[in-house]
Amino acid sequence: MKIIDAHTHLPGWSFGSRPRPIRELRRAFEDEGLAGAWLFTTDGLLGEPARNNDILAEAVAEHRDFFAPFCTVNPLDGTDAAIRELDRCKSKLGMRGLKLHPWVQAFSMMHPAVEPVLAHAGNLGFPVIFHDGTPPYTSSLQIAALAEKAPQTTIILGHAGLDDLYEDAILACRRHPNIYLCLCSTSGGYSEQIIRHCPVERLLFGSDGGFMPNLIKLAIAKLHETDAPASVLRKIFYDNPQRLLPLPA
Amino acid sequence: MIIDSAVCLAGMADSAPTKAWLDQMARHAITHAVVAPADGYAAVYNEEGNALLARLVRRYPKQLSGLAVANPWLGTKAVGLLEKAFDDGLMGLFLCPPRQGFRLTESIVDPLLEVCCRRHKPVYAHTGTPICSEPFQLAELARRFPEVTFIMGHAAYPDFWYDVAGALQQAPNLLVETSCQVAAIIQQALDAVGPERVLFGSGWPRSKPGVEILKIRSMGLADDIFEKVMHTNAANCWGLKP
Repeated sequence: MKIIDAHTHLPGWSFGSRPRPIRELRRAFEDEGLAGAWLFTTDGLLGEPARNNDILAEAVAEHRDFFAPFCTVNPLDGTDAAIRELDRCKSKLGMRGLKLHPWVQAFSMMHPAVEPVLAHAGNLGFPVIFHDGTPPYTSSLQIAALAEKAPQTTIILGHAGLDDLYEDAILACRRHPNIYLCLCSTSGGYSEQIIRHCPVERLLFGSDGGFMPNLIKLAIAKLHETDAPASVLRKIFYDNPQRLLPLPA
Repeated sequence: MIIDSAVCLAGMADSAPTKAWLDQMARHAITHAVVAPADGYAAVYNEEGNALLARLVRRYPKQLSGLAVANPWLGTKAVGLLEKAFDDGLMGLFLCPPRQGFRLTESIVDPLLEVCCRRHKPVYAHTGTPICSEPFQLAELARRFPEVTFIMGHAAYPDFWYDVAGALQQAPNLLVETSCQVAAIIQQALDAVGPERVLFGSGWPRSKPGVEILKIRSMGLADDIFEKVMHTNAANCWGLKP
């Protein structure tokens, strides 16, 4: 079964990590079973988003068949600056989506810059993936409140509630047709509940691969251990991410 | 041999959840499991949960041991429930602050811990949910009751991973259980406090045994450390005889 991972990170200098050559990272991802990956910065979430967007774009330049790069911006830099960076990431860097991490980037979803950033990302055709599941800035329903204000933007809860809030993530997904859930780091029993109760067309596989070792193969094993039939897993592993962001792989 | 120190059962009046769990044990070669009453049993229906679990333990003594629940807000009634549960064969206390509505550091839990201290029973606490079940809150409790063994359930997954090793270092009577948490944090715990204070758990039904066992295997632990994590430490902690 082909697998596209909708939640991976380019290792950087943060969180005890070290940068890895992209060729080596791709080989490791392929060895763990991936046919493609949405790739986010790690260092750029902690600062200097523009510089780290450049680093990510340069890293994947020869690997666009495998990686879909996501940029980041920080709404605390101001609406205009964030939107300018989004435009640059689309037109100059060929980014394909936006990653936001309100916990690490230290902004509230209710900050006035967030809504226009989400709306603009939607206008650019960027899906927006959030870290979610961590109070006080990234609860699933905080993100859903913004998704309601930007209905044309595809919003992805990057951890489907991250265990404590998975039931809120289910509510968000069922209420808002522009919300997808990424089953990344959500424990297996809760992932099974999410698959049972959410529209399967809006579920994605994710692993946080690149952030720590061995995450991808364990995340794949986790979904295979659920009671979801192969036809459902095929949508989660491949059809849905491929429909949202086609990769040539 | 694998001992699983983190299993919750809901709906024990029906045989299906127990059968589902016993099937999991057989499929994954888990020789013994430490089971706690879940959800409503943990929050409100403590007496029913303890009685049903004690019955299961008597029916499956080779496979199952049981933890008692007693909501601290029940006061002296909770103490009585706990004493009775221990008399009925349950062998530790399960604290679930998010379900039971208290912070680990609140003094209302002290009378229960005094029972555990007097009767030499370990305490397994769910951790990882702010603001009531954080690693340093459990370490504070462990310092308050240094003669009681505490287990940091789910290794504070998801978001308190930075705190796990630091909390363990504060209290030698604090152990950590591995379910849900990523392997790198389990390794940090091993590095911080050595291989005697880490216990395997599947976290069923929140997580699943297959992937949790695969996680520990993927860490590449030396055979003697693997054996401690998967079996020996739990046997010592819970007083399980071979």
